[in-house]
Amino acid sequence: MYFCGDPSIGSYIKLRREKEMKMCRAAFTVCLIVLLLVTSLVGCGSKEPAHNIAEGQAGTSDKVEIKFLHSWPRPEANAYFQEVITAFEKDHPNIKVKMEAVGDEAIKDKLRVMMGTNSQPDIFFSWSGEFANNFIQSNNSLDLTEAFEKDTDWKNRITRSAIEPFTYDGKIYGVPLRTNAKFFVYNKDIFEKNNLSEPRTWDEFLYVLEELKQSGVTPISFGNIYPWAGCHYITGLNQKLVPENIREKDYDPAGGEFSHYGYIEAIEYLKDLVDKGYFNNGFNSIEHNMAIEMFYSGETAMMYLELIEFGEVDKDFKGNEWGFFPLPAIEDGKGNQNHITGAPDGFMISSKTKYPDEAIAFLKFLTSQEMGEKLVTTLGWPSAVIGALNENNAEPYLIKGMKALEEADDMALWLDTDIHIKISDVYLPGLQEVLNGRKTPEALMKEVQEIAKKVKEEIY
Amino acid sequence: MGLYHNKKIAFLFIFPALLLMLVFIYYPIFQNFIYSMFRWSAFSSEKIFIGIDNYLRLFKDPVFYIALKNNLLYASFSIFFQVGLGLIIAAILEEKFLRKYQPFFRTVFFIPAIISITVAGLLWQLIYNPNIGIINEGLRAIGLDNLAHPWLADGKTAIFSVIVMSQWQYTGYIVLLFIVGIHKIPQELYESAMIDGANSIQKFWTITVPQVKEMIIVSVTITIIGGFKVFDEVYVMTGGGPGRSTEVLSSFMYRSGFRNDEMGYAAAIATIIFVITFLLTLLELKISHKKDEV
Repeated sequence: MYFCGDPSIGSYIKLRREKEMKMCRAAFTVCLIVLLLVTSLVGCGSKEPAHNIAEGQAGTSDKVEIKFLHSWPRPEANAYFQEVITAFEKDHPNIKVKMEAVGDEAIKDKLRVMMGTNSQPDIFFSWSGEFANNFIQSNNSLDLTEAFEKDTDWKNRITRSAIEPFTYDGKIYGVPLRTNAKFFVYNKDIFEKNNLSEPRTWDEFLYVLEELKQSGVTPISFGNIYPWAGCHYITGLNQKLVPENIREKDYDPAGGEFSHYGYIEAIEYLKDLVDKGYFNNGFNSIEHNMAIEMFYSGETAMMYLELIEFGEVDKDFKGNEWGFFPLPAIEDGKGNQNHITGAPDGFMISSKTKYPDEAIAFLKFLTSQEMGEKLVTTLGWPSAVIGALNENNAEPYLIKGMKALEEADDMALWLDTDIHIKISDVYLPGLQEVLNGRKTPEALMKEVQEIAKKVKEEIY
Repeated sequence: MGLYHNKKIAFLFIFPALLLMLVFIYYPIFQNFIYSMFRWSAFSSEKIFIGIDNYLRLFKDPVFYIALKNNLLYASFSIFFQVGLGLIIAAILEEKFLRKYQPFFRTVFFIPAIISITVAGLLWQLIYNPNIGIINEGLRAIGLDNLAHPWLADGKTAIFSVIVMSQWQYTGYIVLLFIVGIHKIPQELYESAMIDGANSIQKFWTITVPQVKEMIIVSVTITIIGGFKVFDEVYVMTGGGPGRSTEVLSSFMYRSGFRNDEMGYAAAIATIIFVITFLLTLLELKISHKKDEV
């Protein structure tokens, strides 16, 4: 501290001056603090009036904004939805639809994160099956049964089998936009050159693959860096090799055992294709899109693709002609051979939405006959609206695909959206390792059984 | 004068900054720790208290050890290539005969560091492509067909392939740091060494290395902590696969939290990552502090 030794006049003046300076500084400090406090108060205060203004505006013009999240950020798809929104806003001047789009992989994470907050979109995309059940069980999704019952026109114009996977405990929670199924798309030129025809059974399939391989072509394009691609094969094989009632019980998280031998067989069937060299080299590091390009350019003879991808195939395929066939039947398989792998996807409404009626109105509009037909003509997607896809507006391949879908007994939903996420998180990456030869099918199914048991314990 | 000694007023001035730090840095760390004691999902607001069960499960989870091993690999390779090789490259670039061309090489080495990781990741995915990738094509072109390999598709080589890409991207950055460091070394030291008849290698070990010691410590810290925080490279190039072979701690945390919806478990992993990087930082501080005292 300051201490003054000799009280002479000089030091007295020095002391005075220092005291004055001290006071001056103290005053300055006080001023600063006051300023700081005042500005912070002003900062806080200015928020409120702004908020009131915003609310007041909403109140006077009655403009309602609903948030709409879908999973197709590609320009063509985005343009379709933008058109739908523009038309809808014209019909409903009091509603404004705010659209957002994120890709397939990203939306899985985004939705999970958003559900935990209050910024949920009013209308959001969802796959059917277990993925949708997650939202339903956690009360995040609005029950639409009543809305459907009230408007029978609406209910009757949507394919029943597409609503089914969005149903839980007899209540409807989702509105399907499109249906989808998986087929082997093949290069007709290559098939003809080798005198091959569409295989109907697994044995014929193996024969075709061997012939193709002998002729020097890679038989199948496969891009499995994200393991859903391999999971689609297993979806089909499980359903052909495991008895239906057992499979259904296992896929339900409440009864999952996965102890049937068919599950191991299914993986072995796929592994067999790998071991015989029917897939392109290094498929575990190749993206699906890159694998498609190999098929387009004729480097490979076929690829397992979705109905919704047919539009692109038709546009980008570089050979003369292409055809398709479903996953061949396995003659002594214990499952149903007349299933087709595929699932509808669509939209759900958040249970926390402030504007349920407006959101329902938008979904009704989106699944109107007109917009359904537009979905077929502009994007080539098989709309879930009955009759939207017809001879007048669709390419023959789509009609043939839809027919195959109608003839099938039922649909086998994608494995990764049909079983509990924690089980699929073991199942899918494990599949990559089995295909790499680093794990046996038995070991993988054992892991699946263990995690299924754990999931069961945790939930019930 | 009194103002500078008045702790109360000093605190008042520090307070706003301190408040921001508390709210945005320390509180979340604390909160994360609390979260790790619960079983909860982002879907619902229900939280079940389970104590340290998440940690017990984590230490039994084989994926945790794969991830930890991969992080360690990442960190050690980064030290070897970025710091070790980076220092050598910097020393060579600082040699007299290369000085003239140094800006050119500096730019060449630094360019990868300014490319976004996502772009670089996709680029390397193509480089590693088993069929059309430049590595395999190149090997085949010179007749080494049997060395061609699906680099990213094989669980044994995948993590190393990702690490290589990281070295490509960041070595240039560290080289730049070292060049700055070497610039600061007084030229007289080299001159007198030359008069004493030292060759380049001797000069490197006896002058360059001791003089940039501080920079070496900084770079080692940056690369080790970077090795434990790595996420984007893995996420873009392999997504943690094939199987779980390229999983690192942060991708493991991401998968647990946002894919499997086990927020409590993810919080436990986050705590572990925090503890590891915190200890490493402490260690670094201690080392550099010791140096200051000397």
